[in-house]
Amino acid sequence: MSDDTHTYIGFEEYSEHVPPSIPSAVQQATSRFVDGRAARVAELPQWEQLRQIGSDIRLHTIENMDVYLTRLETAVQAAGGIVHWASTAEDARQIVLKIAKEHNVRLAVKSKSMATEEIGLNHALEAAGIEALETDLGEYIIQLAGTGPSHIIVPAVHLKKEEIAALFSEKLNIDAPADPIELARIARETLREKFLAAEMGISGANFLVAETGTLVIVTNEGNGRMCTTMPDLHIAVVGIDKVIPDWESLTVFLKLLARSATGQKLSTYTQFITGPRRAEGEFGPKEFHLVLLDNGRSKVLKDPVGREVFKCIRCGACANVCPVYKNVGGFAYGWFISGPIGAIFAPQMLGTPAARELPYASTLCGACADVCPVKIPIPTILRHLRRRVAQGDDFAASTMPAPIRITASLASLALAQNWIYRFGTRILPFFMRIFKRDSWIPSAPYPLSRWTKARPLPPFTASFRKWWNVRSAKAKPRAGTGTTSE
Amino acid sequence: MNNTVIENIRSSLGRTEQTPLSLRPAIYESRQPESVDSETEHFLEEVRKVSGVAQKLSPEGVAATLKSLVAENNILKATLWHSPLFERLGIESILRSLGVDIVSPTADKHDMALCDLGITGADYLLPETGTLVLRSSAEQPRAVSLLPRIHLAIVRPEMLRPDLHQVFAEAKDSHYLVFITGPSRTADIELTVTLGVHGPKNLYIWMLENR
Repeated sequence: MSDDTHTYIGFEEYSEHVPPSIPSAVQQATSRFVDGRAARVAELPQWEQLRQIGSDIRLHTIENMDVYLTRLETAVQAAGGIVHWASTAEDARQIVLKIAKEHNVRLAVKSKSMATEEIGLNHALEAAGIEALETDLGEYIIQLAGTGPSHIIVPAVHLKKEEIAALFSEKLNIDAPADPIELARIARETLREKFLAAEMGISGANFLVAETGTLVIVTNEGNGRMCTTMPDLHIAVVGIDKVIPDWESLTVFLKLLARSATGQKLSTYTQFITGPRRAEGEFGPKEFHLVLLDNGRSKVLKDPVGREVFKCIRCGACANVCPVYKNVGGFAYGWFISGPIGAIFAPQMLGTPAARELPYASTLCGACADVCPVKIPIPTILRHLRRRVAQGDDFAASTMPAPIRITASLASLALAQNWIYRFGTRILPFFMRIFKRDSWIPSAPYPLSRWTKARPLPPFTASFRKWWNVRSAKAKPRAGTGTTSE
Repeated sequence: MNNTVIENIRSSLGRTEQTPLSLRPAIYESRQPESVDSETEHFLEEVRKVSGVAQKLSPEGVAATLKSLVAENNILKATLWHSPLFERLGIESILRSLGVDIVSPTADKHDMALCDLGITGADYLLPETGTLVLRSSAEQPRAVSLLPRIHLAIVRPEMLRPDLHQVFAEAKDSHYLVFITGPSRTADIELTVTLGVHGPKNLYIWMLENR
């Protein structure tokens, strides 16, 4: 479990406060990515084969993670890089702060990194008097706005150009027009100075290649290149789940990633960084540090069903097709990874007590599993986590409210014992009569009120068995005549 | 250093230091190349699809094409890789004759950032995606393809490789590689595609024809 006790994620409550502008903006983004992905997938006849191999390799890597991480460490060191192991988020923050202080860092430029979000690195740096600047355009905007990301690929998609112009005008003390191209130009100029001035670049990684100790970073804007090329010091903070065996494996994942994420064949820039620079004039950092972050991951590995979450290559395709995500957006998930993958990631990393609502933030429609480039069985893991939430798990006791737990136990008993079930169907209409108004039940007592506060409940009229028997009896003569023609 | 992370992973997976590595699943077959001409066309076509400007060029045509590039884009400062090919083509002297200031590719980053044009070659080309693959060295500094607002790559058909497999087999020992597929882009503001957000705004690729 993560060492930082996480505040409770109230998905239900957060969803109720999502402003209507969010679903409309999010749906514009997701429909574009869904179409782009579909077009790229259609071009590649071996797509399904690639997905299967991708899934097999990721699973193999998870099952042999200790071997590959040990190889990775040796290879990074051989290339002149420095490897740090961080068991907890606090360890990771301290490692980065120590390195930054040793180099008198005052400004750090950051390329989009989920791992540094996870450990809250920006706050820690700022508390130590070090400015930490996000440089991906979307991340830069939400950092200025002081909000979280609404989408993994386009984090500021919920903001209109007018809002961004007002934000730039206020924070940068300029007169910014509400034009996306002009706004991007302003960001380019503002951040260009920062890239050249920063003493430290911070990045994550899309993959870590164990074979040669290589960090693979995929970006479109070029900020990832800037952060890892301009400052003399580069620190990468990466979750241990990002390791892959070798470059042959990489051929598979590079083909899957951009196609699934943005509908590109490849993202604009893919960097393969093995240690620091070798020659003075080639640019690139003098010193390269890799912080390998556990923060609860090694514990998650214990669950053979749940650990398949680590196959994830962070493309966001599952969120783009998810009917729940498309209506609530990223904020409602209360964690830096949202959508279906967040719903199976957060409860395992933060513990079921803190994130017990997330496995239920799904209709189990299965669209996510259909598009996942590495075939993560998300609905299966959601159901598995629901069971862990309800029954308690190795890490925590059940935190289900008692009425729901009791109702669920009674339901499970009734569904297992035929006579109780039949008896129930006979007495149910009498109970329902109390709450029935006209032909609907507008409000019912807890826990059914959770349904009726959103929509009325159709009353239970008759048992299916009874209805079926009546129907069969009526239909018999007709069925008889039907068969005579044969 | 005593590694508790590895210890915890082993204990969760039920493994020990002695547990052997299981066999990695096999990787699919690589794409088969077509003729050099059709691979070249495929490459140029893909570059155009990602907003790059790509053309075939004879060595004799370089001077005139460079002249119009400089004029159209108002290029005052340029930087370029140290390359025997560029010396043979006389790139630097052509630029000087056009009144363009040449900045050393190993100059200070602030000077490099003032360049309008950066000229590189490439080590490999991927036709399927229209991708340039660049190694890094003192002769091929990383900033040349990154800091100037325009990136020109002068490449040759010999650099074409059928697939990622071949590129990785040849280049995985390199300490730094970058794949460049089109100019820098973003769609972060209202999903409007904008070119040149942090890297170059324009990417030109000239494929030198073999004589």
